[in-house]
Order: sequence, then structure tokens, then C-alpha cells
Amino acid sequence: MTRLRPDAGAKGGGNPAYVNARIRSRRASLLDESDYRKLVRMGPDAISRYLEETEYEREMNELGARYRGVDLIEYALNANLSRHFQDLLDWSDGQLYDQLVRYLRKFDTWNIKTILRGIYTDTPRDEIEADLISAGEFTKRDLDRLLEAQSIDDVIERLSGTIYYDPLIDAYDEYEELNLLVPLENAVDRAMFEHMISGIDVETGPASRVLERHQQWTGSPAALFREFLAAEIDLLNVRNALRIAKSGSELDPSSYFIEGGRLFSKRELGLLTGDLDGLVATIRDSVYGEKLDDALAELEDAESLLEVEQAIDRALVEYGDLLGSRYPVSVCPIIAYVLAKELEVQNVIAIARGREAGLSEEEIREELVMP
Amino acid sequence: MAEDVKPTRKNLMEIEDRIELSERGHNTLEKKRDGLIMEFMDILDQAQTVRDDLEESYELAQKRLNMARAMEGDVAVRGAAAALKEHPEISISSKNIMGVVVPQIESMRVRKRLDQRGYGVLGTNSRIDEAAAAYEQLLEDIILAAEVETAMKKLLKEIETTKRRVNALEFKLLPDLYENKDFIEQKLEEQEREEIFRLKKIKAKKERQEAASSE
Repeated sequence: MTRLRPDAGAKGGGNPAYVNARIRSRRASLLDESDYRKLVRMGPDAISRYLEETEYEREMNELGARYRGVDLIEYALNANLSRHFQDLLDWSDGQLYDQLVRYLRKFDTWNIKTILRGIYTDTPRDEIEADLISAGEFTKRDLDRLLEAQSIDDVIERLSGTIYYDPLIDAYDEYEELNLLVPLENAVDRAMFEHMISGIDVETGPASRVLERHQQWTGSPAALFREFLAAEIDLLNVRNALRIAKSGSELDPSSYFIEGGRLFSKRELGLLTGDLDGLVATIRDSVYGEKLDDALAELEDAESLLEVEQAIDRALVEYGDLLGSRYPVSVCPIIAYVLAKELEVQNVIAIARGREAGLSEEEIREELVMP
Repeated sequence: MAEDVKPTRKNLMEIEDRIELSERGHNTLEKKRDGLIMEFMDILDQAQTVRDDLEESYELAQKRLNMARAMEGDVAVRGAAAALKEHPEISISSKNIMGVVVPQIESMRVRKRLDQRGYGVLGTNSRIDEAAAAYEQLLEDIILAAEVETAMKKLLKEIETTKRRVNALEFKLLPDLYENKDFIEQKLEEQEREEIFRLKKIKAKKERQEAASSE
């Protein structure tokens, strides 16, 4: 059921020059700091009106009759994101398509999990459909097929032929035993993350120091992309390991550990499970230590992980900047644009939802991760 | 009404017994009322602390939920909430405070570890964890507040009832009994005086008759 691209597996590097040229104007139309300053002072209705005069005009007008308030903002922004990312996939060829689709599969996993949760909680099809974000490899037809599924097993069967099928089959017994979606959701996430990095075959050093030496980076664009993906997996593992350690849970690391990062092996993480101090010390000594140091101090003082998660998000945004500036004609600026667009949509939805919930400007500003 | 009581010695004795019983009851009830008020003051302090904690927990939980909804979206929060299958349980027993039966509520499985909450670790983050933890704390505070405030309401009701009984004894029953006692005593004294006067009259009459017959 995956999008068929005759040239997707081609050895060629694809058409990064063409795609980069096409996204230049889109990158220029991303919201800047002054836009955010205005948005955090507005209420949901004013934000809607403001967005009607920006890049999001088309989706705001299309969905204006169906939704209102913050829902309209959220659905319109997600629809705009879907359109932009689908365009990227439509324009890309060869290896570029392959690299992009690896990253954008995160939206497919979101859609699969939303459909599974919808069926699990007997949510009407219309409501499930409204929450889907068609920005990944699955076409509208693929998503419609999944939405027609009547049961969890049916969804899994309909995913036959995708990277998610085997992991879901493996996790199905545990799902039946526990009657919880966790094993299935974890299987979908793990399949996405592990496929994201596994096929990118480039030479890399044994212990990358991309964050430390990004100014002197001399590897290939593909290697830089791989480093970015490895860092994203590392930071996800760090975040989840800290959550598990902080909660006092003795969860088996194999249930949340993602292969492909460089910081921990599954065994090392297993040894640190339940040892928050040891885990913090290991992270401090790692390549990510400098970026996360202040947030780790906050974690030790206030026992809140939010600072750490924000520092992780900020570190990934820095990677995005690095990706965007290093190789102008490669997959890297395109991924940087994807990250920036995602961040923008996330931030604007957060501002609108925050204002609706009565959060102060200051509280919202503290929560945003600015580009 | 004192006039309704028959002024007999038997009634006087009965009233005196009732006065004695009522005074004993009045003393006991006064002691019970004072004891209940002291217990109530202790629980009131506790209830105020619990209520403050509850309000604080509620505000924190709402803030964390709003933050999670704002940053992660409604769908993610709804999905995480729907994943919970093992719901908290409460068991209710009772304890006795000076004759007032108050509930003792024990909660189980309210606070959960990350792996017990039902949602996946990979697809969520600590904003969801913190919102869940804040709601678990809120639920614990609600259960404690339910226990303390129910005990407080029951004690207050009992204090009111006891106070009404004490007042009824002190201002109605005992004064009525004393009035009846006084009435009977007065009547009996009056009867006694009349009796003596009559006896004197009879005696004088007899003496006059004896004097006339001897002449």
C-alpha cells in the first residue's frame, strides 16, 4: 500500500537542486519572530484572522465552514503541513525521495496510531479521519482503506506489505494479553524509527561529535543527515530513559529503546534503568551534555523533565539550522525546512490552544521552542 | 403546664426522679457537645488544609492538562487518557468518634508508575506524564477531602442535634419540671395547711361540745 515510485530505489541522488529551488519561497514565507510576538498577544479569533493573511489562507478558507476557533486553526495548519509535505514527496525523485520518506513516515505512524486508538475507543470514522495528517508515505487512498477497517486485526491486515506489518504481528499477542494498545503503538513507532536510519549507508566515525564540531563538519550530506537521525534517536532514548528513571518504573528497556542512536546500547541503558543519578551523569559526559546541562540541573533541583525536553527540542532545532546551512544542494536543507515547518505548526497550535486555555503570554512564551 | 399536673405526693416523687435523670442527661450531653466541638475543631483544621491542598492540586492539574493539550494537542491527550484500563478503586470502612460513625476511605491504584498508565512511552512525552501525575494527585486529594469533609458534616450534624437536646433540657424540660415540682410542693403545703386548720377547727368544735354536755 506504499506510494509506488519507479525510481525510488534508484542509486542516483535524486533531484535535490530542483526541490531546493521549489522550497525557497516556502521557506521565506515561514513565520518569523515578530509574527510569534504578535501571535502570543492575540486570542484564538485574532490568530485565525491573522493566519488568513498568511501562507495558511487557503486551508483557513477551505475549512472555515466546518470548524471554528482553535479547532479551525489546528486542522487548517495540519492540512497546510500535509499539502506542503506531499508536494515535497511529489517533487522528489530517487534517493532524495527515499530519504525524505524515511523522515516523513512519522506522520504515517501518527495516522496508524490515531486509527488504532479510534477503533479501540469506538470513535466514529469522521472524528478519526479529522485527526489524520496526510503528510507521509500513505496516500489518501491508503488512509481511506485503513479507515474502513472494522477492528484492530483488520487494520493490521490492511498494513500488510508495509514496514509496520511484521512488528505489529509480533506485538499482537501482547496486545491481546494486556488488552492495551501500548505494544502495538510501540511497535509502530519502533518500526518507523528503526527504518528511518537503517538503510542510510554512509561511512561515519565511531563516535560522532556533530554537535561539538558542526562548524568543521566535513562528511557527506548523507552522512550529516544520518547524524541528524542518530541524534534524534539518541535524544528520544535520553528523554524516555529519564522519564522511566524519574517515574521509578522498572520497565524493560527493550520496550522503549530505539536502535540506531550512538549514545547507548540496549545493554547500557538496561544497566542504568532506575538509576536517575547514573543516567544524568552519563548524559552529562556525552556529546549532548553541554546542550542539556542547565536542563539536567533543573531536573535534579525541581524534578521536572519539562526543561530537559525543551532543551532536547532546542538541540534538534539547532541541528535543523546546521542541516539548512551546510550543503545548499542536498537533502539537508529540505529536512531543515521540514523541521522548521513542523515547529511552526506546533508553535502556532500551542499558542492558540494556550490562549484558549487561559495561559498567560509569559507561560506560552516559556513553552515555545523558537526557531 | 403546671396546672395540668395533679398535685400528689406520688407525682412529686416522679417529677423529682425525672429532674434528677434530666440533670444527669443534661450534664452528659453538655460533655458530649463539648467533646464533639473539640473533635470538630481538630477536623476543621485538617479539612482546611485538605481543602487548600485540593484547590492547589486542582489548579496544578488543570494547568498541566491545558499545557499538555496546548503542546501535544487534544488527540494525543485523549488517546493517552483512553489507554488507561486499570481504574482506581476505593474501599469504605467506618470509625466511631464519640458515637458518630464517620467513613474511612482507602484508595488503591490511584498513583501509577509510567508503565501502569497504559499509554506507550514512545509516542508520548513528559507533558502527558506530568498531567497524568497531577490528576492522580488530585484524585488522592479528592478522596481525602471526601473522607474529612463527610466526617466534618456528620460531626456538625451531631453537634447541632446534641446542642438542640441540651437546649431543650436546659431551657424547656428542666424549667417545666421545676415549675411542676414547685407547683405540687405549693399545693401540697397548702393542702397540709388546710388540713391542720380543719383539724384545729374540729378539735375546737369537739371541745365546745364537751364543755356544753358537762354543763
